Amino acid sequence: MFSFFPVDFLTTLTLLPLVGAVIVFVLPKGQEKTARWLALGISLIVLVLAIGVFYTVQDNPPDTGQWVYEEQAQWFPLLNSTWHLGVDGLSATMILLTGLLMPLAILVSFEIEDRVQAVMALFLFLETGMLGVFVALDMVVFFLFWELGLIPMYFLIFLWGGENRRYAANKFFLYTMAGSLGLLLAIQLVGLTVGSFDIPTAIKDWPGLSNSADELLGVEIGKVKYYALLGFTIAFLIKIPAWPFHTWLPDAHTEAPTGGSMILAGVLLKLGAYGFLRLAIPLFPQEWILKRTLASLEYNLADVLGLLAVLGIVLGALAAWGQNDFKRLVAYSSVNHMGFVVLGLAVAALMYGASWAEQGNNTSLLAGVAGIEYDENTSPSDLSSKVEEMYGPERIEEDRENARIALNGVVLQMFAHGLSSAGMFLLVGALYHKAHTRDLRRFGGLWDIVPVYGALLLFMSMVSLGLPGLIGFVGEFMVISGSFKAYPVYVLLAMVGLLTTGIYILKAIQKVLHGPYNEEWAEYDRTQHRLEITRREVVAIAPLVVLALITGLYPKWILDVINSGVVRWFVGG
Amino acid sequence: MVPLWMYLVVAAGLFCIGMYGVLSRRNAVAILMSIELMLNAVNINLVAFWRYLTPERIGGQVFAAFVFVVAAAETAVGLALILMIYRRRQTVVVEDVDLLKW
Amino acid sequence: MDINWFSADYLPWLILFFPLLSFLMIVLFTARNRIVSQTIALSAISLSWVLSLVEFYRVVWEKDVELGKEVFGSQVDWFEAGTHTFKMGVMVDPLTAYMLLMVPLACLLIFIYSLGYMRGDPHNSRFFAYISLFAGAMLTLVLADNMLMLFIGWEVMGLCSYLLIGFWFHKKSAYQAGVKAFMTTRVGDVLMLVGIGYLFVQAGTLGFREILYNEDMLSKLAGQTGIHSVLLGDALGWSPATLIGILLVIGMIGKSSQFPLHGWLPDAMEGPTPVSAMIHAATMVSAGVYMVVRMFPLLSAGVNFHNGDYSAAMWIMGSVGSVTALGAAILAVGQNDIKRILAYSTISQLGFMVAALGIGAWVAAAFHLINHAFFKALLFMASGSVIHSMEHGEHHAHEHGQHEEPHDEPDGLVMDYVAPPNDITRMGGLIHRIPVTAITMLIGSLSLAGLPFITAGFWSKDEIIADAYHGAASDPFPLFVLLALVIAAFLTAFYSMRMWCMTFLGQPRTPAAEYAGIGTGRNRWVKWWNGTRWGKQDPREVEETDRVSRLSAFQMELPLVILAFLAIFAGFIGLPEAFFGANPLHDFLAPTLLEEPEVFDFNFMPMLISMLIALGGLGVGWWLYGREPLAIGESDPSERALGPGIWKTLQNRFYIDYAYRKYIIQPAEWFAVNIVIQAIDKETIDGVLETIAELFTTLGETFKRFNRVVIDGVGDGIPEAIFGFARWFRQVQSGRIQQYLLIVTLALLAIGTLFILQLR
Repeated sequence: MFSFFPVDFLTTLTLLPLVGAVIVFVLPKGQEKTARWLALGISLIVLVLAIGVFYTVQDNPPDTGQWVYEEQAQWFPLLNSTWHLGVDGLSATMILLTGLLMPLAILVSFEIEDRVQAVMALFLFLETGMLGVFVALDMVVFFLFWELGLIPMYFLIFLWGGENRRYAANKFFLYTMAGSLGLLLAIQLVGLTVGSFDIPTAIKDWPGLSNSADELLGVEIGKVKYYALLGFTIAFLIKIPAWPFHTWLPDAHTEAPTGGSMILAGVLLKLGAYGFLRLAIPLFPQEWILKRTLASLEYNLADVLGLLAVLGIVLGALAAWGQNDFKRLVAYSSVNHMGFVVLGLAVAALMYGASWAEQGNNTSLLAGVAGIEYDENTSPSDLSSKVEEMYGPERIEEDRENARIALNGVVLQMFAHGLSSAGMFLLVGALYHKAHTRDLRRFGGLWDIVPVYGALLLFMSMVSLGLPGLIGFVGEFMVISGSFKAYPVYVLLAMVGLLTTGIYILKAIQKVLHGPYNEEWAEYDRTQHRLEITRREVVAIAPLVVLALITGLYPKWILDVINSGVVRWFVGG
Repeated sequence: MVPLWMYLVVAAGLFCIGMYGVLSRRNAVAILMSIELMLNAVNINLVAFWRYLTPERIGGQVFAAFVFVVAAAETAVGLALILMIYRRRQTVVVEDVDLLKW
Repeated sequence: MDINWFSADYLPWLILFFPLLSFLMIVLFTARNRIVSQTIALSAISLSWVLSLVEFYRVVWEKDVELGKEVFGSQVDWFEAGTHTFKMGVMVDPLTAYMLLMVPLACLLIFIYSLGYMRGDPHNSRFFAYISLFAGAMLTLVLADNMLMLFIGWEVMGLCSYLLIGFWFHKKSAYQAGVKAFMTTRVGDVLMLVGIGYLFVQAGTLGFREILYNEDMLSKLAGQTGIHSVLLGDALGWSPATLIGILLVIGMIGKSSQFPLHGWLPDAMEGPTPVSAMIHAATMVSAGVYMVVRMFPLLSAGVNFHNGDYSAAMWIMGSVGSVTALGAAILAVGQNDIKRILAYSTISQLGFMVAALGIGAWVAAAFHLINHAFFKALLFMASGSVIHSMEHGEHHAHEHGQHEEPHDEPDGLVMDYVAPPNDITRMGGLIHRIPVTAITMLIGSLSLAGLPFITAGFWSKDEIIADAYHGAASDPFPLFVLLALVIAAFLTAFYSMRMWCMTFLGQPRTPAAEYAGIGTGRNRWVKWWNGTRWGKQDPREVEETDRVSRLSAFQMELPLVILAFLAIFAGFIGLPEAFFGANPLHDFLAPTLLEEPEVFDFNFMPMLISMLIALGGLGVGWWLYGREPLAIGESDPSERALGPGIWKTLQNRFYIDYAYRKYIIQPAEWFAVNIVIQAIDKETIDGVLETIAELFTTLGETFKRFNRVVIDGVGDGIPEAIFGFARWFRQVQSGRIQQYLLIVTLALLAIGTLFILQLR
């Protein structure tokens, strides 16, 4: 079917950067220039392959149960784990994003003079880790690549970071490692119970296991599921990072080198959201919507997820507003923007669960979603007729359609945030690299000194702000539209965050560019170091600018692929 | 004829005297002389057993002669050592020569 | 696909395309060349104007179909999500056509005016890039056939407004005003965005055609019960139409600067004057009203307001509009900054339109919108000319050694600070210096005041008041609106007169006013003025003017004259039927919306009211300020009448902005810094984490100690003991040969003894 490339195309795509990393790493001293250009070249090849993946998915969107470039090989028979790779619309978008950002990050990292071979090798190594997560269809493979991405990032922060890098690198590592432990445990719980680590198999078999029939090591399956869900969720929430697991992010970003920040914000944060899409939601349809009570307050886990999202949106924006460190401000903006991703995921989880309950005719679950009151005395037939009346297939389809819109928005917002945050970090880094300070209070009045930089900063800020006509808006709009009926209060609260987004973006622009002509920096510009953005940095940011504008004006090119992924996602992949 | 046990008693007495000398004298030369006594006690035994038990062979006499020779050589070497020690440490008291201490 | 770009269906794309293209070209290629940038911007907007006239001609006269029965436009697929296909497109219906007559023309005139006004500014190219982007965004908004595209134009205009208000970004007050404008309107925008999102999921589309021209859709939206929320219960149980209407109206309140989100517009006057004329008078602020007119069928869905049944959105608009119209008119009386008077006047006039929409008079609102755009753009540009002249007068006076002590400009936005060239108390007698500006501004002021029968402002304001009058007979709500608007209209006439008289009549009150306009090329008219009846009384000397200054004077005066013409004649298209048997505007606009606007029987009462209040206001103004113009050192008659306390309150805008700053913005910032960052993130979350880290560190320390004492103790103890024993035991090795022998002997004895005993 996909005969253009050899069958093990995805393996090639994933491992190519790793091979490149080894080659770059062993280049002798004095070959720094070769190392840089070689790394850039390899990442560009990966980009071409990633574009190939994207367009293959666009031309032949996979049917339900099928994957583009699917491959499966013996790998770890002892565990029943196979080397199973494949892509759909969701992962193709993320692969494109990874392939796109990596050459730019490498190009920006040309500015690093110290241990060039090592830093370039680490970037390529990182790319393998990220691509691996996006193509994995086996939980062990998923976890392997998940952890693989952690190591190079740790070293990038630890060895090439700012003043406070040891603290930041350790915090980053320990935080994510703590999450990974839960993830590993959860994967084992699922894998052992199902008897296979294959993700499609697990999605098919695991949600149907029920208390009466199954158990694991004598523990009833409901409890096992609950703890497995917690393991997945916390790991992914830390990575996203959702409130209140976000405090590693400002530190890590602030200390990481510019290229590292770009990748960290641009791609690594997306791994968490992708984990929700691939594992945490499809594996636990029932758990997300099961009605639970806490001190007479009824809730389900999707509600909790939505609440965390709103807290992230609002508090992230407020925290960004209060910063005086330019990079910290941008770092907190990620918490704010990824909050919209989490909000959309909450809606998706809710409706995925409802669809599952509808398929399995589980009326009590549906009653919980629809907010229909019932207790033990309600007879099942009464309940099902009530559900039929108040939350019939038509209403469910309507809500599911909203959730599809929200989920389209989620994936687009992930892509948009990848572009905007990478661009913002590039700009912050470009200024920091030259001025050696990120303190907003020391800037001001720079626009006349750095006109091109100023224009780019303005543009990227507007992308980040979500100005309609640019990419940031489309995703936010879709998430807001799709979530409003499910969570009107959350959406209205999130608007407070969206408002504050404006404040901190304008604060950054104002503190850097506006104000009386800055004599101090003008003097610095003349005598010590040009502050204007360099040509290399302009080349690196240009693709982001162009894509942000084109996608904002005509999002169809990417939403077609995303939508194909979303539609099949709702029927179980 | 004098019975065998009488010779043996004499030899044992002589041996004990020699042994006492070896263990209690402080002078290295005296110790050396005491060793000679013990060797002589052995010689008495050798000769006495030969005469009473196997008079048809000459093994006993030969052994006794052998012991004499060895004893002479031993005395020569011993005295030389004692002389050397004396030269080095100005003493022939064995208790002072504890070079092999732990 | 074969597209005829010049057919009525596709032409709108080109109209909005050219200004956007000119923005891109200036930013990317010609930013360093002022002349080329100006040429590009000007040709793009001219092209848009010509094309919009062509479009107007095509849709109104050329086809044999009737505009309104048919809508022109075209669409492209924008995205697909789920099973929805979202289309972006343009359309032209009567309302759009009417807007197309105003928007490109107003933009073109302001572009021409900017050539003169912005001459010599170092960021000239940037200015033209911004206003091109703005014009493109406004045209996008007008031509959009769906809510999302309208919103795109809406927000891009907001960005341009921010950039242009803060155009002189070296000044703290300017960039602060920009931020204030952006953030205040954003309050409305984010809620409007929710409304749009809700509309999208509820209707499955955002197209105007699918929603507004579709009875079934409207009744579905108005009839459904609303969303059920676990947290809110049924508190949001309004019908979708109601909730969406309220949210959209909140968006309009922000954009059209209505109470309580009105505070940004007066501060927006920090921007260059062409910006005030274009964005903050003619186009952007009226975009809010345009949007509400456009969405009126949805806002009034499910209610019959002709019978006194108003929807929630209409209630809000009626009350907010009335309060704003009245309050802003009161504040306009108490201002001395010429641009700020006009800003409050704009707020007040927008309040008229909003109130009109609140009582269902959408044709009147649209009518007033266009007329207001013309005369307010005129007034702003004339005020720009005045300020420009005053700045040159200041400069000239300085050369003559007649310079006043310069004030220190305050650092940042200060409510009651008035920049010297803008201060009407420092003007006076300017009619003798800049007669063309004076005359055109007089026309604009009279149109704003609503001088009966000959000005455009009269006809549109009269129509609003007539509609309110008709409703007032049966219902208290229109009566309230009517009362508020009547008082506001009276005040409008009064402050227009005050402003004009204080600026142009009497003796110059400062040296700057004495020499106003010198060196700007505008005094070439002085010769002509000296020959007229009014100029003879106080003739001024005429100076030589050079070519450049004459050109820039021409560039600034031509738009004034054209707009003055429009400020009079734009109103005649909407004469009531009683005069010539038909109301052309009414008939033209009526098929825009599903709901045919009611045509009332002509009643002379409201027209009499309009006449009386306009003439009364103008008369009182003339009596106080025109009969005997303000002399040097004399205090303002209104100030004397009102007393210093009230006057100060007016100049400080009822302290509303102070209250916002003190009770909302500062606490929010405090909350962000102290609670969110410090208490939550640093102390609680990181605190918990650090406590856990601390705990583990302590635990580790304990294990370390245990290791050292117990595990290491045992491990090291055994060799230690062996070593110690050996140490003690080696003493056996005394080196004394006799000892050894003794021991051997004893041992042999012992062994021998045992052996013997054994043998026994």
